[in-house]
Amino acid sequence: MNHVIARRRVLVGALALSGLAFVLGPPALRLIRDFLGADALNETTRAAMVRMARLLYPHEAIPDDVYANVLDGALTAVATDMAFADALGAAEAALNAHQPQAFVELDETTQIAAMRAVEGQPFFATIQEAVRSRLYEHPAVWTLIGYEGPSFEKGGYLNRGAGVIDWLPEAP
Amino acid sequence: MARQFELSDTSPVVVIGSGAGGGTLSNELAQKGIDVVCLEAGSRLTLDDIENNPPLMNGRIGWNDKRIGPPVWLCKTVGGTTVRWSGVTPRLQEHEFKARTTYGLLDGTTLVDWPLTLAELMPYYDKAEFKMGVTGTNGIPPSFEISNYKVLKAGGLKIGYKEITSARMAINPVARDGRPGCIQLGFCHAGCKIGAKWSTLYTEIPKAETTDHFELRSNVMALKINHDATGKVTGVVYADSAGEMHEQKARAVAVAGNVIETTRLLLNSASGQFPDGLGNSSGHLGRNYMRHVSSLILAVMPGPVNFHRGTQQTGLIVDEQYHKPERGFAGGYLIETAAGDPGGFAAFLGGWGEPIAKYMESYSRFAGVFITGEDPPQNANRIILHQTERDQYGLPVPVIEYAMHPNSTAMQLHAIRQTTQLYEAIGGVDVRSTEGVFMTCHNMGVARMSARPEDGVTNRWGQVHDIPNLFVSDGSVFTSSAAANPTLTIVALAIRQADHIADRMRRGEL
Repeated sequence: MNHVIARRRVLVGALALSGLAFVLGPPALRLIRDFLGADALNETTRAAMVRMARLLYPHEAIPDDVYANVLDGALTAVATDMAFADALGAAEAALNAHQPQAFVELDETTQIAAMRAVEGQPFFATIQEAVRSRLYEHPAVWTLIGYEGPSFEKGGYLNRGAGVIDWLPEAP
Repeated sequence: MARQFELSDTSPVVVIGSGAGGGTLSNELAQKGIDVVCLEAGSRLTLDDIENNPPLMNGRIGWNDKRIGPPVWLCKTVGGTTVRWSGVTPRLQEHEFKARTTYGLLDGTTLVDWPLTLAELMPYYDKAEFKMGVTGTNGIPPSFEISNYKVLKAGGLKIGYKEITSARMAINPVARDGRPGCIQLGFCHAGCKIGAKWSTLYTEIPKAETTDHFELRSNVMALKINHDATGKVTGVVYADSAGEMHEQKARAVAVAGNVIETTRLLLNSASGQFPDGLGNSSGHLGRNYMRHVSSLILAVMPGPVNFHRGTQQTGLIVDEQYHKPERGFAGGYLIETAAGDPGGFAAFLGGWGEPIAKYMESYSRFAGVFITGEDPPQNANRIILHQTERDQYGLPVPVIEYAMHPNSTAMQLHAIRQTTQLYEAIGGVDVRSTEGVFMTCHNMGVARMSARPEDGVTNRWGQVHDIPNLFVSDGSVFTSSAAANPTLTIVALAIRQADHIADRMRRGEL
């Protein structure tokens, strides 16, 4: 519970700072982000969230640092999106429900069960959407699944494999 | 050159919305020398603003204001949903204009026949196809055969389908009408970066601006349509980007806000004389909301398809569009190729954990289709205003209430079975599909055309039965949904409506 209360306090602070940042502009926003990144999410929670990101979309060949990267990308929204910050607070509470055992120390089945137990709550969809959208934009994931991404700068796919297919049976 | 009209000028037709319906109607009227002010809630992008980045572009072109109910695919941008659409342009079939006569009275539906026939619309389909540059018409070749289409065709032939085509796309295969040929960028739904796909943003709107009869006002939100004591509409109240309110006087008003916003505006314009909203004496306004029977169906093929290399949708199978009651449902559906970026498809498929992650690892071998099928009108499927929630303009937010009819569910399951067979016939495995109400949709029907005023909101010209100078010019006027993607028909109806408005003006009736 302490985590949640601490989080609320931080978020109230962030709100005030956000107002200030509106006046100060992007440098102050960066300050808030650093402040939140370093202090608001303690290491235990961050590790739990990274683990959650992997369990949402577990790609064996994708290393943990990609999931951590995705999570950090999602966390930048905290400074500007209070709904996301709230979702994060709720996720933190859910993932820490097995205290004193940390989420990352639970076995995978228990971790997944803990997530299943809260998957219907609105915060879950918010976190999932944040992870999904960033993970499937990550170059490492594109390489893994064979997606080649934006094409305008390369002149489209017309001369880069569009319509090419070599395994189809001949038309009768 | 573009014109500027005074707010007090009562001569222009005020068109609300600049998409397939509003953009086309605006240009058609302006070309005839009729003055038009087009109000558009969104801003005007250039091709430089378009990027191969779906989430970013959704923020730039999507209508993301608060709305309650299943997702819809509205756009708030000059060009409306023609910036986002796929470009698939099949025609309606003859029997689809006679839904009530052909299908009988389906339980729980409010089916009526269209107050016009295919024969009457035919010349306007021709004009719309010429305007939009539909492939396979007007001497334009069929579209380039993307690999997803080659898979669809091979599987379709294998299970006995006959009418399979890569034509009927409003995307230039070669340069035409001042726009380039498609270079298979992909990302059609994020806006076409080179303008090969038809959109009113860079066709109808700039063409209207070459006349001396057209003004586009973007970033303005229409809030209310005013009328006089005789029941004729007189002007449109709107908020500009600074929130300032203005009223543009009007000779006639045409509403084309893509169904949800069309309903909201007409309901919000309620007055002492029209207490239930403009055009609602029948009680049908906002009701009979249809969004097509839709599913996304994916299969993992034996080899690479790389369906991201090229247009998101090219090629379709027509065989199931016919009414064949032996299938166990009324009406038909089209099977159309569909592709997209991995993030979007992971969202469409839904779920989390290993089942979806492992599936996504087969991305390069995905083949996919989108089903679009007839969705019968039901009284309880409707757009209403929220009792208490207000948007940034102080207007009630829209609420969408929609449930699939058993006929739609039966059709959806049939389409999934057929597509599964199609892919399995050529080695596809692990076919997955979305069931129930799909995330994207074709909005139709809330101000439907009807022969009798008590059966609908508008007459056969899209004129509101109750008000002689108020028109509806988007998919709202569809009497029944038919199976086809609606844009071509919306454009054909808008061209026809412009002729009608001009005729009535000539006769001094408007």
